[in-house]
Amino acid sequence: MRRDSIQRRLIATVVLSQAILTAGLLITGVLVTYWRLLSSLDAGMEARTMSVAALVRYTEDASGNVYFDNSLLPESIDPNHPDQFMVWADRTGLLTHSEDWPDGLQFEPGPNQHWNFTFAGVPYHASRVQHLPILDREEGKAFQPQTLTIVYASPTIRIRQQVKAAGAFIALVSVLLLGATGWLALWGIRRGLSPLQALAEQAARVSAKSWQLQPPKEAEEIEELRPLTESMTQMLARLQNSFVQQREFLGNAAHELKTPVAVLKTTLQSLLQRSRSSEEYRAGLQAALQDLDRLEQLLQWMLRLARAEQWAQDGRRREFERIDINATCEEAVERIRSLAESRHTAIQLATDGPVPFRADPEDLQLVWTNLLENAVRYSPEGGSVEVEVAHDEHGAKIIFQDRGAGISAADLPHIFDRFYRGDPSRTRATGGFGLGLAIAKALVEAYGGSITAESAPGKGTRMTVELPVGREKEPKG
Amino acid sequence: MRVLVVEDEPRLAENVARSLRESAGYAVDVAGDGQEGLFLAESNAYDVMLLDLMLPKLDGMEVLRRIRQSGQHTPVLVITARDDKESVVALLNAGADDYLTKPLDLGELLARTKALIRRGKGQPWPVLVIGDLELNTVNRTVQRGGRAITLTAMEYRVLEYLAHRPRAVVSKTELLEHLYDYNWEKFSNVIEVYISGLRRKLNEGSSRQLIRTLRGQGYMLQE
Repeated sequence: MRRDSIQRRLIATVVLSQAILTAGLLITGVLVTYWRLLSSLDAGMEARTMSVAALVRYTEDASGNVYFDNSLLPESIDPNHPDQFMVWADRTGLLTHSEDWPDGLQFEPGPNQHWNFTFAGVPYHASRVQHLPILDREEGKAFQPQTLTIVYASPTIRIRQQVKAAGAFIALVSVLLLGATGWLALWGIRRGLSPLQALAEQAARVSAKSWQLQPPKEAEEIEELRPLTESMTQMLARLQNSFVQQREFLGNAAHELKTPVAVLKTTLQSLLQRSRSSEEYRAGLQAALQDLDRLEQLLQWMLRLARAEQWAQDGRRREFERIDINATCEEAVERIRSLAESRHTAIQLATDGPVPFRADPEDLQLVWTNLLENAVRYSPEGGSVEVEVAHDEHGAKIIFQDRGAGISAADLPHIFDRFYRGDPSRTRATGGFGLGLAIAKALVEAYGGSITAESAPGKGTRMTVELPVGREKEPKG
Repeated sequence: MRVLVVEDEPRLAENVARSLRESAGYAVDVAGDGQEGLFLAESNAYDVMLLDLMLPKLDGMEVLRRIRQSGQHTPVLVITARDDKESVVALLNAGADDYLTKPLDLGELLARTKALIRRGKGQPWPVLVIGDLELNTVNRTVQRGGRAITLTAMEYRVLEYLAHRPRAVVSKTELLEHLYDYNWEKFSNVIEVYISGLRRKLNEGSSRQLIRTLRGQGYMLQE
């Protein structure tokens, strides 16, 4: 792959535009010079044509015949290249021409005209003028004047040389200026791009250990670089967040797996420590199987959480049917019913009309079941749990209220952290892994919703899930 | 010997306690959280303490710190899921004597526990020798003058405790405290029964008395 460089491109642009400018200047300069020289040549030729016309004399009779008096010929415009002229009188015909008139050069009388021609390798500028001389005559005598036609041609060799010299001078100066501006552009562009270089150096220092990007001051001051540094900083923050989250998850998972593995391992080891009766072996193996079941459950919950967190980060992408949130709540209540009955806890579900929402019903049921299970477990025996589904133009609220012991203020901010157990002895006794609320939160967030907990110790806990019903994000991608 | 196990995962505590009872013949008390662990450690005499770090109510590090602050010398073996250098250093600096990382190996746990008990009582070698008496704490066998002696479990425990502290006077109360766990009814006269049984078995084919009785004070094992 060919490596392109902004610097090279910018310099090329500058040099190219300068070159176009130079060429324009050169052409304009040459044309203007040529035009000015030519018009001064025209003026000189006009004066000389008049001088030549003045040399045409009438004879001293009344015939109106003319003759040419070549005693006072005007000097050539360019002394090195003699001018040529030819004079006609309308009755007399060709009257005269210049002394060294080239053989074979022919002109006809005609109307006034300016033109260029080349003869025998010499470029000429020519003009043809018709002229009726005003005569200094005695009054009263009959006289018939003749109209003269004068062709006057002047070689333009000197003009050409002058134009060439001017062009060469302009070109030389332009090339020098071009070089100077090119060098200036190079210097300016290098200097202008140096913040980018500094930024790249800073960016190279970012690593999994040090996520902080410190944009160099010079880069921060530059308007064009600000969107870049800002988006880099934001991107790094997002990356770091996701990286830290994954590392945390891995660390947590490895840590949480150690205990159930230790349980299983020690169960089997203690079984082997001495010889036992077959009943003891049987009991020991059954205990080991139970330990393994628990390990398996933990793994399932972890996978569920990992998936939910992934969804929460990407947004749930799949296209879903519209389902009724009430129906998922009813299903969740049904799933928890046997647990609730065993604890003599009543679950009251209050709904107010169907609440359509695009979602996978399994996801929502999992959220409701997790919240309900917590509410039931932390309610005193014979207590009650209330579930309320409310819905307005801002979205839907699903509220789970229990009348249990509540959550201490110290634990409340952490209850949605994965593997967090406010009171481990209690949750362990109830079989929790500290993942249920983390999964609920991740799933709710995957649907663009939020989950909050309020708790008054001794009075109970209230979990509120808000879902963007009626303003769901259109699925991406 | 009496061991305190502070572990919040009941199945793990159960397995460790059973292993210590069955394979080492120790009396074992189990605490399910830090507070209970601290209470037991402060109110009983243990020869070693196994302490999990992640505990409800009071975390293991805090239990350890408080035990050491109250001036207890009981060896502490910490059970931790973290084995990074920093946390191990922090543990040892907080007064732990040794550590084990999860998932545990029960064989290693037993060996380390025994080693800690030994060291706590100034004995470097797992085979304790007092005169012509040899007590092997690894496979729990006793020999006197090359002759193997078969002891009951309780007799062995009494002798093992005495052998860890040779030439020291050990009171009946101390023996009771170190040989029975929390749930046991303690009657001091059972000790006398074990001591007399031990004397009888140890003295077979030998005239020299190994266990001396110091009236009103206790017992002493010497060559």
